[in-house]
Parts: sequence; C-alpha cells; structure tokens
Amino acid sequence: MGPAISARGVVKSFGQLRVLDELTLDIPRGVTYCLLGPNGSGKTTLIRAIVGLLKLDAGDLKVLGTPVSRVQEIYSKIGYMTQHKALYPDLTLQENLEFFAGLYGIGKQEREQRIVELLKMVNLQGLSRRLAGALSGGMYQRLSLACTLIHEPELLLLDEPTVGVDPRLRQTFWEYFERLASDGKTVLITTHLMDEAEKCRIVGYMKAGKMTAVGSPDEIKRQAGLKPHLELWLKDIESDCARLRAEGYEIEILDGVARLRLESHKQIKSVLEIVSPLDMRLKEPMLEEAFLQLSEAA
Amino acid sequence: MIQVSLSRIGVVALRVVRQLKRDRRTIGLIAFAPIVLMILFGYALSGEMSGVALGLVDEGGHPALRSHLEGIEDFEILRLGSESDAELLVSQGRLNGAVVLQPEEVRVLLDASSLQISQAILAAAQSGAQKEAASLQRPGVVTTRYLFGYDLEMMDTVGPAILGLVVFFFTFINAAISFIRERSQGTLEKFMVSPLSRVEIVLGYVLGFSLFTLLQSTTTLLVVTFGFKVPMRGNPLTALAVVLLLGAGALVLGSFLSNFARSEFQVVQFIPLIITPQIVLCGVWWPMQSIPEFIRPISYMLPLTYAGDALRAVMLKGSSLTEILFPDLLALAVFFLVFFAAATLMLRRQVD
Ligand SMILES: Nc1ncnc2c1ncn2[C@@H]1O[C@H](COP(=O)(O)OP(=O)(O)OP(=O)(O)O)[C@@H](O)[C@H]1O
Ligand SMILES: [Mg+2]
Repeated sequence: MGPAISARGVVKSFGQLRVLDELTLDIPRGVTYCLLGPNGSGKTTLIRAIVGLLKLDAGDLKVLGTPVSRVQEIYSKIGYMTQHKALYPDLTLQENLEFFAGLYGIGKQEREQRIVELLKMVNLQGLSRRLAGALSGGMYQRLSLACTLIHEPELLLLDEPTVGVDPRLRQTFWEYFERLASDGKTVLITTHLMDEAEKCRIVGYMKAGKMTAVGSPDEIKRQAGLKPHLELWLKDIESDCARLRAEGYEIEILDGVARLRLESHKQIKSVLEIVSPLDMRLKEPMLEEAFLQLSEAA
Repeated sequence: MIQVSLSRIGVVALRVVRQLKRDRRTIGLIAFAPIVLMILFGYALSGEMSGVALGLVDEGGHPALRSHLEGIEDFEILRLGSESDAELLVSQGRLNGAVVLQPEEVRVLLDASSLQISQAILAAAQSGAQKEAASLQRPGVVTTRYLFGYDLEMMDTVGPAILGLVVFFFTFINAAISFIRERSQGTLEKFMVSPLSRVEIVLGYVLGFSLFTLLQSTTTLLVVTFGFKVPMRGNPLTALAVVLLLGAGALVLGSFLSNFARSEFQVVQFIPLIITPQIVLCGVWWPMQSIPEFIRPISYMLPLTYAGDALRAVMLKGSSLTEILFPDLLALAVFFLVFFAAATLMLRRQVD
C-alpha cells in the first residue's frame, strides 16, 4: 500500500493567483499529519483539491492510491470537515448525524450506536434534540467533527477542527486522533496552534502554495538548527560569562540574564560545574521559531 | 456513470421534510396563501378578449344575425355542418363556443370552463338577435346550452388555476432558497464529498417537496370544491397527479435558477420574471385568445398553461388521465425533464 496522499507538482491558480505552486507532498498511512501555514498559504485549497472539489491546472495527485480524477469512487472512505460551517442549522444534532449517516448507507442499528458513541466523544450527549443552529461556536465545531467521523473514514481531512473548542476537549480530540492513527487511519489536520502541531507524528509547513518544511516536530527543530537554551541568573554575570565563554559556550546577555545555547541537554551538568547560578531555567526551542526560520530561509 | 440509490434519495427527502416541517411560516403560507389568492384573483379580475374561435352551424333563417356575428372582429368563425360537430369541438376545447342557426330557433353552445368568452359569445348572439328581431318585427329567441350543464362561476375557471399557481410559486421559491442555502451554509460542499450523487440530490428534493405539494393541493382542493363550490367532476387523484408533476417542474426550475443567484435576496427578485408571466400568460385570467399572437408562443412554453388546462379539464369536464395526456401532461413532463437535466448539470462538484 502506497501513501495515503501523494502529490507531485500540483498547481492550482485562481485567476492570476497561484495558490498551489508545484506542490509536492507525501502523507503515509496511519499517521496524524499536521498542515501548518500562514493565512492564505493554500491549506484549505490543498484539502479541497484532495477531495476533488477543484480542477487542477497541473500535477499528479493520488488519494489512497486512487487518482484524484476518480476520487468520487472512494468517497465512502473519506471524511472531510470543512473550515467553515457545513451543517443544517434547522435540524437537530441527531437529525444532522442521521442525515450524514444515511448518505453512507449506514444501517439504523449501527447508526444509532455510532451516534451515541460520537456524541459522547464530543461531549454533546443529552443535547441530541437541540437545533444545530442553537449551539455555541465550539459545540458546533464538535458536532461538525462528529458528522465527519460518522462513517468511520479511512482518511480524515480536518480543516481547523479545534477552532473554538475548549482546551480540555481539545485534549480529548487529540487523543482520539492518535487512536485513529494507531488503528491505521490517516488524519490530516490543519491548525494554527503550535501545541497541537507538536502532538502530530508529521508536520508540514506550507508557504505560498509550497511545502517548505516537512518532518516530525523534533526533526523540524533540528533542521532549523534550533537548540535549547539555558537562562542563568548569575551573581557576577560578567566574570561568570567570561569563564563559560572560555570553555566554548555561546552566551548572550539580555536584561541581566545570561542565555546559553546548549548543544544537548547533557551539557547542563558541565555548565553547573563551571558556575553556580542563583536561578536557572531551561528553554526548549519552539516549533514556531523553527518554522519562521525555515520559511525565511526558503 | 450515474449511480442512483433509492435509500439515499429517501435520506435527502426525509431531511427536506424535517426542515420544512419545522418552518412554521412556510407551513402557514402553504395553508393560507391559496385562500387569499382565490379571493384576490377570483373576485377582482376579469379580462377582455380577442380571437375567439366560434363555430357556426347555419341551417337557414337568420342572415342578419349571421352577418352580425361575422362582422365582429374578435371572432374567428368556423363553419360547421352539424350541431354534433360543434358539440364535439367545444367539448374538446377546440372551439370556445358555437352558434346554431335554425329557422325557428337560435341555440348558443358555450364552453362552461371559460367564463368570459362564454359571456362575450352570448352577448354577441343576443345583441345580433335583438337587431334582427327589430327589423323582422318578431321576437328573437336565443336559447343557451352549457355543454356541461351547470351555472358557470368565476371561481370555476380560476380555482383550478390558482391551485396550480400556488403550488408552482411555493415550490419554486422554496426550492430555489433551499439550494441557495445548501451553497451558502456549506452543506453542498460537504455532501458533494460523499457517495450522494447529483441526481439523487435533486430527486430527493423532488420527493421531499412532493409531500408538501400533496398537503397543499389537498387543502386547496378542499377549499376550492367545498368553499367555492367548484365542481370536481373527474378523479381528484388525477388532479393531484397533475399538480405533483407541476410541482416537480417548479422544483427543478428553482434549483436550476438558484445557480444564478448569490443570496436569498436575489432569488426573490426572480419572482417578477418567473411567476408574473405565468399569471398573465397562462390563459386563466386573460384567455389565451386575448393574448397578442406574437406572445402566445411564450404562453405555450409555460408549465402553468398546461397545468391550468389539465386541471380545468379534470375538474370541470371530468377528463381522465389519458384524456389530458396530450398535450398537457406531456408538456409538463418535458418541462420537468429539461430542467431536471439542467439542474443536475449545474450542481457541479468542481470549480475551476
Ligand atoms: N475559490 C477561490 N477563488 C479565488 N481565490 C481563492 C479561492 N479559494 C481560495 N482562494 C485564495 O487562495 C488563497 C489560499 O486560500 P486558502 O483558503 O487555501 O488559505 P488557507 O491556507 O486555508 O488560509 P487560512 O489559514 O486562513 O484558512 C487565498 O489567497 C484565497 O483568497
Ligand atoms: Mg483555510
């Protein structure tokens, strides 16, 4: 079995605007893949291309091994959660779920069971008779996710599924996504939240219609050459720093705090043999910085 | 390849019904609009006419009356051999009426399903007979025969057409707005990425709306027949079949035209373009003969023309399904099929 999604030189323009610019990307099966990128970088456009809603100008795109031109044949295996609202506000939660279940030919008994399960997962049990239009923003988003999962798709394309969802439930979602991935399902998620990206197996950074960095969160940080820092509060900052520099450490002094670049965490011990700080703090590199660095370099 | 699954059509239909059921305003309109319209149109309108097709059976004795009738510009006179010919043509709707001249009597055959024309024919015959009587110094006798043997009320002609109009209007507007909403609320994009095919979507809508069409036509028919005492000589189920076919046509037209509107607001602006011509040109309030000839081809393209004709035939003449098959049902079916194809083709999955 090949990758869940493979794109080669995909081009899509809207008028003069080249939104997907010879984009190439591979998403293996059974992973959580996070698509990051600034507003307007083309994430939604890429997802819409994957589900066959856009006519590509050029390039080769395969979804679960099927060319995108025939992707309709495998729609029962795809779950697509749109970035914007896409439910019936004048139907109840139950009715919305029943409608989408019905489109996939799920039998009544299985359907009822799935609906109960999913409403529980998104913590909306007991609200099944409320109109979708009367839900709060985050609740709506949760119902939307439930409707996308109703037919147990093999490939999930979730466009900003956690917008407006409270932290606790986001945690639940991510555990659920992890579980889906370990069951062999592929989950592609876009988000603007770095803490979510950190949770994904693979992260892809998109800029102006191209993938500018791809890898696990750690790999990306390494690629960007980002290292952890040790912040030290020292009694005699000038002389202590001089001694550390003599040992080959890179140090900057900012507002009376020494920032020391670590090659590895093991170095902490040897630093403490040289100086004895009043206080210290370890700063791990941020994925965000990595992307900023990588996309400037690109 | 087009896949059609009855269960998916049913799923869409059920959804449509659930949504409409919850919409109290629409339900209220379904029930009350027909009554209001009947009062408005039924009593407030009457038309002028020209180009009335009149049969003339001349068995002698009334040259003055004959030339009076021939002298009326609006009448297109067709000479016939016998009264039974005239009866046949009038009952088939080919003639608006006929005058039978016999030495001792003048009989006027009138088509009971078209009030204004009947009255004009009768008035012409009577005034001709009066003139003749004055010159011959003997009283002119004109007897009238309504071919369906009952007194004609305005409502008899207008009632069946209002039924058609109300169903067409309701279904058209609601379908167009529903499709606009599917687009603007994003659900179209969502179910486009599902096994649901375009044909199933449209057929699901047809099925779902048909239920409301049935509800609406049943209440309207009850009001028309019991409230306004319009006869129901044919099978009410035949009338419902006509209305369902008309409703299906209105639905696919609404679905098709929703592609040319970006908002519900814009859909409403189609009303003058789509609904008004049908009211004016369908031959109910203004008989077809009164419509200038160069506009008549438009009349023959409007579904309400055929639905009104078929409903009048069923209700007033007691016509059966086979009798209204051609041209009425056929024309309605063609209208439905054309816009069904157009509506499904416009529901494209891909954008460029
Ligand atoms: N149908 C369209 N017609 C014209 N331009 C479009 C269309 N869809 C998207 N665009 C443009 O393509 C660019 C990429 O849009 P897209 O929605 O893919 O961005 P995104 O990465 O999902 O952004 P966000 O993070 O804000 O969701 C934007 O400049 C947008 O205006
Ligand atoms: Mg987006």
